[in-house]
Parts: sequence; structure tokens; C-alpha cells
Amino acid sequence: MTPLVETQNLTRRYGSNLALDHLNLAIPEGAIFGFIGPNGAGKTTTMRILTTLLSPTSGEARVAGISVTSEPRAVRRLVGFMPDFFGVYDNMKSWEYLDFFGRSYGIPAQRRQQLIGELLELVDLGHKRDAPVMSLSRGMKQRLSLARAMMHDPRLLILDEPASGLDPRARIELRELLKELRAMGKTIMISSHILTELAEMCTHIGIIERGKLLAAGEVQEILRTMRPHRIVEIRVVAGAARAEEILRTHADVLELRREGARAESEGDAAPLDDETGPHTLLADFAGDEHALGDMLAMLIAEGVRVSHFAEQSGDLEDIFLHVTKGIV
Amino acid sequence: MLELNPILVKDLRSRMRGARAYILITIYLLILAGVALLLYAAIAQDIGNDLNAGRRIGQALFFTIATVALIEVCLITPVLTSGSIAGEKERQTYDLLVASLLTPWQIVWGKLVSALAFALLLIVAIVPVMSLAFLFGGVGLTEVLIAIAGLVVTAVLYATIGLFWSAMLQSSLGATSFAIGTVIALLLGIPFLIVIFTLILGSSAPSDLLESIWFIYLSRFVVALHPFIALGATASQLSSGSGPFFEVVRTSTTNVVVPSPWVLYTIFSLIAVALLLAASARLVQPVQSGADRQKRAGKER
Repeated sequence: MTPLVETQNLTRRYGSNLALDHLNLAIPEGAIFGFIGPNGAGKTTTMRILTTLLSPTSGEARVAGISVTSEPRAVRRLVGFMPDFFGVYDNMKSWEYLDFFGRSYGIPAQRRQQLIGELLELVDLGHKRDAPVMSLSRGMKQRLSLARAMMHDPRLLILDEPASGLDPRARIELRELLKELRAMGKTIMISSHILTELAEMCTHIGIIERGKLLAAGEVQEILRTMRPHRIVEIRVVAGAARAEEILRTHADVLELRREGARAESEGDAAPLDDETGPHTLLADFAGDEHALGDMLAMLIAEGVRVSHFAEQSGDLEDIFLHVTKGIV
Repeated sequence: MLELNPILVKDLRSRMRGARAYILITIYLLILAGVALLLYAAIAQDIGNDLNAGRRIGQALFFTIATVALIEVCLITPVLTSGSIAGEKERQTYDLLVASLLTPWQIVWGKLVSALAFALLLIVAIVPVMSLAFLFGGVGLTEVLIAIAGLVVTAVLYATIGLFWSAMLQSSLGATSFAIGTVIALLLGIPFLIVIFTLILGSSAPSDLLESIWFIYLSRFVVALHPFIALGATASQLSSGSGPFFEVVRTSTTNVVVPSPWVLYTIFSLIAVALLLAASARLVQPVQSGADRQKRAGKER
């Protein structure tokens, strides 16, 4: 995929504080890019540069090949921005809020009226068309804000912590909405602290700390390459004791646990009895794909009957904790 | 079809919705009408059977209403604009505005015109009260038109002062304080300087100096910086038979033609408005480089 967003050595200083340090980022068109990092890592700074609200100290940022510094107006046509707060106007109805931003993006009156209806339906706020913005719940305001960011049909949506402060239902609704937007062909850059949600909805992620990009790429690729080891889940129907013995002595198995058991008490536990099974073993495996295949073959050859042998799905939180140092 | 400025539409919608605007106009007119009534009662009591009573009442009513209206315009218009851009920052909608396709000029212009539309409504609302003076006589159409022009120019200038502080500062309270502070400094500072200058020169000032062209122009320019003094001096000139646009100052050697104080006031005000608008638009530039923005962005980061 062609990158829609590209930054090259993007650097931003606030006095002596280095907020972004030669950031090189590429977000492919059509991706949902999760931007992860501790507070103060430089996520908002990057997003503000991409929305032309902030100028970089050095380096370059481009959206669809257009420089944010030399052609900010052209970039603004391509970018819809939803900050981490919802700006409220007094005495304004939902449709008026969208109408105002539609006017601000120069959308003709006739098209604007049609668009307001369509977008309110898209974010499930059609019934709140004439409701004062102030009267909407936080989740509804976030959805209205998303509709606002969509008014000029941008190719790139930049969403800064869109799920913060939302209740679980509102989060799920927002997540579904983002999936819908992706299906519409939008590229979405999203920052969030709720990593499990990002893992579920993002196609790509970037991990940033102290202004440096520590890792970036497709979620599955990152999970595969950045995890310290993979966890293999093995369900044994017969020969559990033998399986445990083989795995404990296997060179690539760093640690072996019985599901639900504490690791430190593992050594003292009695051998597994097939009568009480089937048993599930969790192996921290350091080897590659071939070594994993060999291990399964070895278990089978030793007469162990395996009903389930699979790598556990990755946990973005583990990766995040592994990659970042928690320094701001 | 050409569309109205989005900011103008939004702000007018918000401003005129609800009872706030109507309450403000009502209070404004009640003060004016109350002052007019009290003044009439006081003068009518005092005048007795004077043949020129009507004329005197008419003039007193007109000048009092014009002065009260000018005081109200001086105090209300900067407040109308001082919360405009700073209010967007407080509501956290400022970034959304500057990240849209609106230009800084559109933002500044929309904010100014929406506030001025309301200020003009206040000025238009006083015309019927001011017209009471016509019932008594003693006031010509020229005086009324100059008074209205002075009110409009003052409204534009003081609204722009409020707008400038609003673009400069982050909070409405700070912007309003600075705007009102600037207005008070102008309204009290200029007369204070005139008094000090007069005291320094005293009666010992050489007539050469007082009759020199540059001194005549300089003194008129200083007078023309203050709306009350400029409009009051114009009224005084009109009553002494001068034309509405020029004044002839007679010295012992020559006659010096000087623009009327209200004309100079209008010119100075429009220059100040242009400069303040340019400065405000510059402050609303989306790419932030100022210390305030750095601090703000650093906090958000």
C-alpha cells in the first residue's frame, strides 16, 4: 500500500525539551494506524503537525505527498481532526454544529444539508438532529465530533484519544463506527491508551516514546517480531506427564506452566494424571516456526495425544511494556 | 451563491438566541430613556417661561443622550468582542477553527462583524430616543448624523481593541480585563495628558508657539484621539457656525484650515482598526510559533 502519511526526520522542540526526535513514520492508505505511547511521548505533537496546527522544528511531514508546512491549506482539505476534547458551543443544535463546520470547509449549501443528514445517520444521531449539543451524552458528543471531522470527506482521519472518558457501550459503538469508516476507504490514525481495543481494530501500529519511534508496522508483524517469546498453548488428552517432561527439558522452552497454576509452584507439583485431564500446558517458546513444528512432532512421536496446539494471540500490552521503558 | 462568513452566521445565531440579547438592549434603552426623562424634568423645572426653552431642552436632551450612548458603546463593544476568540480557546474549539479552511482574516472578520452587528443594533435602537430632541428643536440633522457616525466609529474601534486582546490572550476574563483597561486608559489618559500639557505650558506659552501651524495641528490631533472630546469639540464648532468638515483657525498672521475633530477622529480610528485587525489576524495564524502556543502545546503533549 502507498503511504498516505509520511514523516521524514520530523523533529519538534519546545525550548530545550525535545518532543519529537527525527520521527520517520509511514501510514499506508486505508490503514487504521494505532499510535501508542506513554503520556508526553509525542503523539499529540505528531498529530498536531499533521493537522497543520503546529510547525515542526525540522524535518518534513507529508499527507498524500503534500507538505504540511508549505501547503497547509491543501493538507487541511485531506485531513479530518478529532482532538481529545470536545469543543462545545452554547446554544447550538447538532445540525447547526455540523452546518457551521460544513460552511467552514466551503461545502455548498445544498450538498451540506444532504451531508448533515447522512453523517448524523452514520454516527447514529439522526434522532438528535435538533437537540442542543450541550444536552448530548459524552459518547454522543464524540460521535458528533467524528461526524464533524468527516464533513469535508477527508482521506485521513486523525483521532486523538477518541475513546477517553467513554463508557464501555460508547467505546464499542465508536469502535464499530471506525470499522465502518475504514470500510468506506478512510485512513485512520488513532491514539489511545486502551491497547486491547487498538489491537482489535488497528491494522498497523506505531509505538513512540520520548519522541522516538520505537516500532511501527502491521499489528501481526509487530506482535510476532517484538514479543520476547511466543506462548504456545498445548492441550493434552493423554500422556500429559510425559509431555510435561519433554517440554521441561526442551531447549527452546523457557518456561512451562499448567493453565491456572502459578509458575513458582510448578516444580513441586505432582505429575499430571490423565484421569483428571485433559490438561492444558503453556510453554514460553523462544524458537522459530521450524522449531515449533519439531516440538509438536516430538510430542506426537513420544505418544502424547494432543487435541490443541496453538500459539496464543498476541497481547499488545506485553509488547508495549517490552518496547517502552516508561520514561517520559 | 456567495455564502455569508460561517463565523458570522454561527455567532449571530448564538448571540440572538435566548433572552440575553433582548435583556441587554432593554437595560441599555431603559438607562437612556431614564436619563432623558430625568434631564427633561430637571431642565423644565429650571427654565420657566423662557422663549428658548424648547431649544435648550432639545439641545440638552440630544447631547446628554449622545453622551450616555457613547459611554455605553465604549463599555459594551469591547466586552462583546473580548470573549470572541479567547472564548473559542476556552471552549477548546479554536483548534477546530484554525484547522478548517477558514483563513485568519475570515475568523477575525466574522468575529468583528458579528459583534458589530449587535453594537449597531444598540446604536440604531437609540435613534428614536435621540429623535425626541427634534420635538423641541435646537438640533440639526448634521449634528445627529455626526453623532451617529461618531458612535459607529467608536463601536468599530473599541470592538477591534477587544478583538485584539481576545486573539492575544488565552482567557476571556484576561482579554476583557485588558480591553476594558485599554479603553479606560484611552478615555482617561488622553484628557490627563492634555491637562498636564496645558499646565506645563500655562499662560506663559509664547504666542509664536501657540499660533504655529504644527502646534495647531498637533493640538487638534491629540484632541481627535478621544471620542468625547472630538465629538464635543465638533458640536461646539457647529454651534459657533463652522462647517461640518473643516474648521478655520484664525491666527494673528494667517488662517489655518484644519479638518473637523470628528473627521480626524474617524481617520485615526480607521487607521487603528486596520492595524489592530492585521495584528489580530496574525495572532490567529494556524502555524504556531509564539511562546504561548509552545507552552500550550507542550502542556497538551
